Amino acid sequence: MAWKQGTFRTKNRRKSLLDSLSRQMLFTWLMLAGFILILAPQQWTNKFQFAFLRIFRWPLKIGNDISLASSTQQQFTDSSNQTIIQYKNHIANLEQNLEQANQKINQLSGLRNRFPMLKGAKLIPADISTVTIGGTQAELIINRGTDEGLASNQFVIADNSIVGTIAEVSNRIARVKLFTDKSSNIAVQVGKSEVKRVMQGVGNYSAKIIPDIPTTTPVKAGDQVFACKKPGLLDVPMIIGTVTQCKKNDRQPSVWDITVQPACDITKIENVTVIIMNP
Amino acid sequence: MRWYRFAVLVLLATVLQAGFLSNFTVKPDLLLILLVFFAVYSNTSEAIISSFTIGFAADLIGPAMGPQTISFGLFGTALAYLHQVIAIRKMPYQALVIFATGILAGTMVHLLNLLKSEPGPAEIYSDIFKAALYSGIVGPFLFLPLAWWMRIKTNRFRRNRIMR
Repeated sequence: MAWKQGTFRTKNRRKSLLDSLSRQMLFTWLMLAGFILILAPQQWTNKFQFAFLRIFRWPLKIGNDISLASSTQQQFTDSSNQTIIQYKNHIANLEQNLEQANQKINQLSGLRNRFPMLKGAKLIPADISTVTIGGTQAELIINRGTDEGLASNQFVIADNSIVGTIAEVSNRIARVKLFTDKSSNIAVQVGKSEVKRVMQGVGNYSAKIIPDIPTTTPVKAGDQVFACKKPGLLDVPMIIGTVTQCKKNDRQPSVWDITVQPACDITKIENVTVIIMNP
Repeated sequence: MRWYRFAVLVLLATVLQAGFLSNFTVKPDLLLILLVFFAVYSNTSEAIISSFTIGFAADLIGPAMGPQTISFGLFGTALAYLHQVIAIRKMPYQALVIFATGILAGTMVHLLNLLKSEPGPAEIYSDIFKAALYSGIVGPFLFLPLAWWMRIKTNRFRRNRIMR
């Protein structure tokens, strides 16, 4: 009897030890898998994310539509307003373009005028499959990818204004990081001044310009904000947003605290265009 | 563990998180709530597997692959072992555990994202805090429906009766 009990205990101990070992092994292997995911090149691991987005695009879109319908700030009421905004943005771009052209004429004493905006660039229209504009992430998933020539950091426009840049791209779809995303940083020019600063997304449909513009610089609410030229990606400044709030910084009263909102209604855009400057 | 039900639940939570909840500024982290639920109401081996799986699902809708798999896996496993010592049965304790796990896992995800050169938002810690707090408030109320869906009897899990 005692011998049987002893055997039973030994078996139980072995089983427990094996179970414990297998748990440790399980944990180790899964951690290893996690580290492989972290260390693997992002272009490989992104395929998982893109596959998920492709498979579940319909439920994701339905969920997005419902939440957007319930949480959207109704700034613009009808489509005619949207058309007006498009024209206003287009005019702003042309004015900026004209001003640059005038400067160049003055500088180069009548040498050949600079080319019209985006001449020679390839414009790829894309439909939006998923929109995420709340919380920390502000991004779009679009139905164009490397097959159409898309690459990271290319600028994306909607309603004639810049809305963001390509963050990640696969063969058929791409992720557009909007400039209101909290991890977005874009060089911008405020109004007609020569002040160039970095604009950082803060979520909630807005972005802030890094607060180091002195209050002596004339900036006011309603001023237009332009994305700066970026060789190979954007050859001319384009409108990106409008200053909605300009107040003295709480910590440093000698500098402006500038809040910028998109030049178009991001919640209503259905398609975007990707600029490929050197196709 | 009913793994088919688990898969459906995780997929549903992932789609809801990436779709319906994505446009809200402050939102609960459904996957974090699931992580704590399975760490508390499963045996240790199942908790380890479910933690890593939920982390992988969170990575699918996150900025980069890997950080949440590791973070959720690590804290889910730690929580499963901790549950052998400290019973987490009352709702306030569950809320506290969700909140603490949210803070710790969120911070670790941020640090791992930095390792992967993935830039994080400027106010990341405030966002982590808000999400953890919201999840902590909402989470315990979801435990009962989750237990019903998973056919888990919540009252059989006591500190001295954990299956080894």
